[in-house]
Amino acid sequence: MRKRHRHLDFEVNLIPFIDLLSTCICFLLLTAVWINIGAMNVKQAVGGQAVEESTEKKPTMWVLMRETGDLAIDTKDASIAANLQHLTIPAENGKPNLAKLGEALTQIRSLDARVVTALVQPAAASFYEDIIAIMDEVKRVGFVDLGVAPL
Amino acid sequence: MVNQGILKDTTFHSVIAEYSILRPEAERHKRKITEELLLTALIDAFSILVIFLLMNFSSTGDIIYLEKGMELPKAAKSDVLDLNPVIKIDQGKIFLENKEVNVDELTAALIDLKTKYKEIHPGKEAPVALTIQGDRRLKYEFLNGIVLASSQAGYSDIKFAVVMK
Repeated sequence: MRKRHRHLDFEVNLIPFIDLLSTCICFLLLTAVWINIGAMNVKQAVGGQAVEESTEKKPTMWVLMRETGDLAIDTKDASIAANLQHLTIPAENGKPNLAKLGEALTQIRSLDARVVTALVQPAAASFYEDIIAIMDEVKRVGFVDLGVAPL
Repeated sequence: MVNQGILKDTTFHSVIAEYSILRPEAERHKRKITEELLLTALIDAFSILVIFLLMNFSSTGDIIYLEKGMELPKAAKSDVLDLNPVIKIDQGKIFLENKEVNVDELTAALIDLKTKYKEIHPGKEAPVALTIQGDRRLKYEFLNGIVLASSQAGYSDIKFAVVMK
């Protein structure tokens, strides 16, 4: 009687696996998005909602962008020192100084954590990228509600 | 045919079988005409590629289409882009859902868009958010008209499209 040899070592057929991986790679390469696009969510700052007289005034911070790149920060209805309520941050090479803005906003937030609403008032000549950079910095510091005011 | 002649000793060798502890075949074959491809390394490379591409996969890529030469501003603290009506500003022209409109007609076009939405989806509230897609070098005096028009048409939530840092 012929003795049957059972192979204890066997090889997995890798060809279907390679086929599957190749198909996956082709599909993913075709549908790949190389630039991740997000959204900076803002609200219309003025005239969006009807004003209710009984509503308690929320502390609000305004960032006014000057055409020179200077920034003026006005904080209203917040319990912070008077010298911090009106700040001016000079421009750096004609661009808004984001580092100084970040420092000032952190100081305001550390004194009154209720200040979570920030409204940006750009000038007519303000660049879109500068407006977004300021909003990004404001969000980074911890402001939740962002608004943009029309001219 | 393969079991007889020179091919028997020269072709179809398995790499695993050659180094098997139980039945090593490595000693038997002295010469090889054809070499077997080592598929493990290929599968490793393919797997790494698939993982990398899966990590980069994004389902929101087709919401907006970037024209050549258009550079979106960059932001680190951005949110996920949702499917909303898109206002695109390209070379001084305004496009609402890829249809060119004048800034003076934008409010009417946005209200019309809301009306159409309500006709298609009866009983549902029309969206109040829209996406603005513009080049980073735009000036606000140009954007101002769009912001005002969207507000007048009842779109209170504005989403500026940005590139995530």
